[in-house]
Amino acid sequence: MKKVLEGSHAVSEAARLARVQVIAAYPITPQTHIVEALSEYCSDGTLDARFINVESEHSAMAAVIGAASGGARAFTASSSHGLAYMHELLHWASAARLPIVMAEVNRALGPGWNIWTDQTDSLAQRDTGWIQLYCEDGQEVLDTTLQAFRLAEELNLPVMVILDAFYLSHTFEPIDIPDQKLVDRFLPRPSPRIKMDTADPCALNQLVTPAAYMEMRYNTQMAMETAQDCLKIIETEFAAVFGRTHGAVEAIQCRDADIILVTTGTVTGTCRQVLSDLRSRGEKVGLFKIKLFRPFPKDLICRHLGSANKIAVVDRNVSFGAGGIFAQEIQAALCNLDAHPRVFSYVAGLGGRDITPTTLVEIYTETKENSIPGQESVWIGLNQEIVDTWRNEGPASSLRSRLE
Amino acid sequence: MDDSSIHQIPLFIPHSNMSTKVNKTGSWRFFHPKFDEKTAPCSAACPLGQDIARIEMLTSWGLLKDAWQTILNENPFPAICGRVCFHPCQSVCNRAHMDEPIAIHHLERFLGDTAISEGKKADLKMNPANGKKVAIAGAGPAGLAAAYFLARLGYGCDVFEARSEPGGLLRWGIPAYRLPRDILNKEIGRIKDLGVTIHCKTPVTENLLEKLRNEYNALFIACGYERSITLKIQGGELAHDGLEFLRKLDPIQKLPFCGTAAIVGGGNTAIDVARSLARLGVTPLIAYRRRLEDMPAFKPETAMAVKEGVKIMELVAPIRIQKNTGDASISHPTYKLTLQQMKIGKEKIAGRSCVVPDGEKTKSIDVQDIFVAIGAKAETIWHFLETEETRTLDFGHCRFMEQKIPVFFGGDLTSPVKSVADAVASGKQVAIALDTYFEKGRDAVVKCLAACRVGAGPAISMDVYLGGDRKYRNLYIVDADDIVLDYFQSAPRVIPSTLDAHLSIRSFEETSSTYGEDAAKKEAARCFNCGICNACDFCRLYCPEMAVVVDKAKRGINLDYCKGCGVCATECPRNAMSLEEEIK
Repeated sequence: MKKVLEGSHAVSEAARLARVQVIAAYPITPQTHIVEALSEYCSDGTLDARFINVESEHSAMAAVIGAASGGARAFTASSSHGLAYMHELLHWASAARLPIVMAEVNRALGPGWNIWTDQTDSLAQRDTGWIQLYCEDGQEVLDTTLQAFRLAEELNLPVMVILDAFYLSHTFEPIDIPDQKLVDRFLPRPSPRIKMDTADPCALNQLVTPAAYMEMRYNTQMAMETAQDCLKIIETEFAAVFGRTHGAVEAIQCRDADIILVTTGTVTGTCRQVLSDLRSRGEKVGLFKIKLFRPFPKDLICRHLGSANKIAVVDRNVSFGAGGIFAQEIQAALCNLDAHPRVFSYVAGLGGRDITPTTLVEIYTETKENSIPGQESVWIGLNQEIVDTWRNEGPASSLRSRLE
Repeated sequence: MDDSSIHQIPLFIPHSNMSTKVNKTGSWRFFHPKFDEKTAPCSAACPLGQDIARIEMLTSWGLLKDAWQTILNENPFPAICGRVCFHPCQSVCNRAHMDEPIAIHHLERFLGDTAISEGKKADLKMNPANGKKVAIAGAGPAGLAAAYFLARLGYGCDVFEARSEPGGLLRWGIPAYRLPRDILNKEIGRIKDLGVTIHCKTPVTENLLEKLRNEYNALFIACGYERSITLKIQGGELAHDGLEFLRKLDPIQKLPFCGTAAIVGGGNTAIDVARSLARLGVTPLIAYRRRLEDMPAFKPETAMAVKEGVKIMELVAPIRIQKNTGDASISHPTYKLTLQQMKIGKEKIAGRSCVVPDGEKTKSIDVQDIFVAIGAKAETIWHFLETEETRTLDFGHCRFMEQKIPVFFGGDLTSPVKSVADAVASGKQVAIALDTYFEKGRDAVVKCLAACRVGAGPAISMDVYLGGDRKYRNLYIVDADDIVLDYFQSAPRVIPSTLDAHLSIRSFEETSSTYGEDAAKKEAARCFNCGICNACDFCRLYCPEMAVVVDKAKRGINLDYCKGCGVCATECPRNAMSLEEEIK
């Protein structure tokens, strides 16, 4: 049934349809609507789940870790500072191989205090062993959340479903809410491989010596390496039931493209329009959307981007001193090809600044006009007046003069 | 990949079915916690040392009989003290640091009244009869309490009372609107049920006294302050004795007073006289020589009196009473009372400011009657002369004299504070001191009384004397800072209803009511239970090693696994645990 739904509520609906058994979360803008709806479902009986109120995100993650250790289908949601606060337990969840699903709404970290979208919060968690899926629209959010439970439970790895603050979390779109019976067929009740039972007491996750620790980590890596294939199978099954597919990546008009724009999240939607505008003007441009970030789909990157001339990566995030994070990963994936395209890295739209068609055309033009990218990422849309002031008068200029 | 392939994805995590009990974390310990029950401030402030924290705990659990018996361990008169005691316990309640003190007073009355209305029989700890007989002079609160505790300790007790009924000041000094007589009779009845004989209309004359000395093993003199101090001014003989007036009010009768009456004095008797007069339709006017704040009457009583229309003149001292000429009628009041205006002097005696006459300023008022309530003293017969042979010892709440037989003086004769609770405390002290005297000799008494202290004293506990669980209590008095307030939510105090002043002065009906059971439980549940374990189990819940163990409702520490982190003692909301360093 199609309904006009907020992006946040697409997550809530999916969690409801997935018949989650335990939810623990702490409110934070722009995530709050997700768990608000779920807490109502728990209290009015729509959803037969235990909603655990906690005093922090750290405890929220600890609670779902406990629930998942007991074999329950567990869900949480967070954002920004909340996610950062969970950091320690994110490592725990993946190393304990618990199939937890979390919705993460991309929001900038303070200070300056900012509630708008920015991917740095989730990308800062890239080494925690969580599968990360970046969504483009409300329908993809709902579908991906359902798939996430399958993926998590088949791999015994935690999964983060990621959506942009406000552009997605607070935007209403027509979304198809699948029938519960169909969802039950796609996602049956969990049959957990880890299930603590008081009738058969055991201890989990105790001390491990150097003699076994490395094998344990390699084991997680093996599960991660399987994830891309596993997602493909799950998507095929999902398509068979619901008739929709999204893919770990999506390559649009890349085959003959000279320059390929790489995007994630809601920017992809804007870029689809830019792509058609540029194509109609005869530009040989392609668009490559990355949804799966962990594990990073290196083979798909090489296959779809390897033969282009130039790649322009739009990063709504930054690793200070290194640049846009997707661009780095793409460079790393491509670097061992015999001949590989030049990778241009652009940082744009931090802290919720709009990335408009004009921004994307600027990125395209910049890429087209320069034959070789600089070593550093190019920051798009900066207020040049402010930047120049620092360049000429700030500490960097005095440092330069001392070096000379 | 199909469903069968799911389990081919590797899963290699630390997992063990072996118990973690092999890891004896107790070996890490440098500190060990222990259950260390301490003294609640209310208990230490109560002249009777009642185990209030435990009483409220049991009440909140609905174990009303157990709560009532916990009072009876230390006090034979819950329903009486729940009405007339001025609850020093409440003024030190740690709960005041959060919102308001527990209504200990009302809860005590509730337990006493419930036991009476439900006809509960107490299962008291009783020693077998030891064949010794004690004579007690005076059936007031001190004498009756001594009889109660001595009977429990195995003594045969005879109480000799000059008046027609037992109760002393409880009956003849406290008006019925504060203490209904059926309650008084029921509580005295319980003492009679222990085998105590009360001989009324039997004043202890010198002859009888001599007889008692020959026939009994010990004597307790608790005759109280029966003789009022008279006003030594011109016309002083024209004034009524306030205490005598109160005595005449039992049974309640319409006494022939009217118009305005002056009451000279500022103590509890003055207030009782004034409030009783108000109920007889008289307009009472208290004349007090010091300031309002200097009045020795208990503050809540004074406040109630003012609400009931009692007027108080401060800084006036009577100097003359004259009879008015003409008809004795309201329009022609009988007496003219002349008052000297007083002012605060420079000197201070015992912390109280002195008052001195304010020059020649005087004023006079016309009144129908004058009552005097400026204190009382003992009858002269009780003024024992200390000879060289008599050895006297002062124990605080009683005085001991070794004559032919051991003789104790107590109640108002010796108590530093003249209150019902102090009189009962005196009776208890006499019982413990006398029993120790017979069991272990004179020299053991002081030490034994000290061993029965509640907190820093002077209150002593019969439960401790009889070897009950309270003897393990640490004497440390729990401070507000020791309470972990995070565990408690602010909750308003629940108070039973009281009659409005315009209704209360219409009769001698009791002015305040008793709690219903739900309200009582709710109020009792507000108690922090300072210093005692109320089985809240936070120690056990928070112990990371599950080393807090419960065996037959008793909590203990499994030292094989206690690593001494101290979480249990820190989290104990009420300081019922302590942490001790371990020397290894």
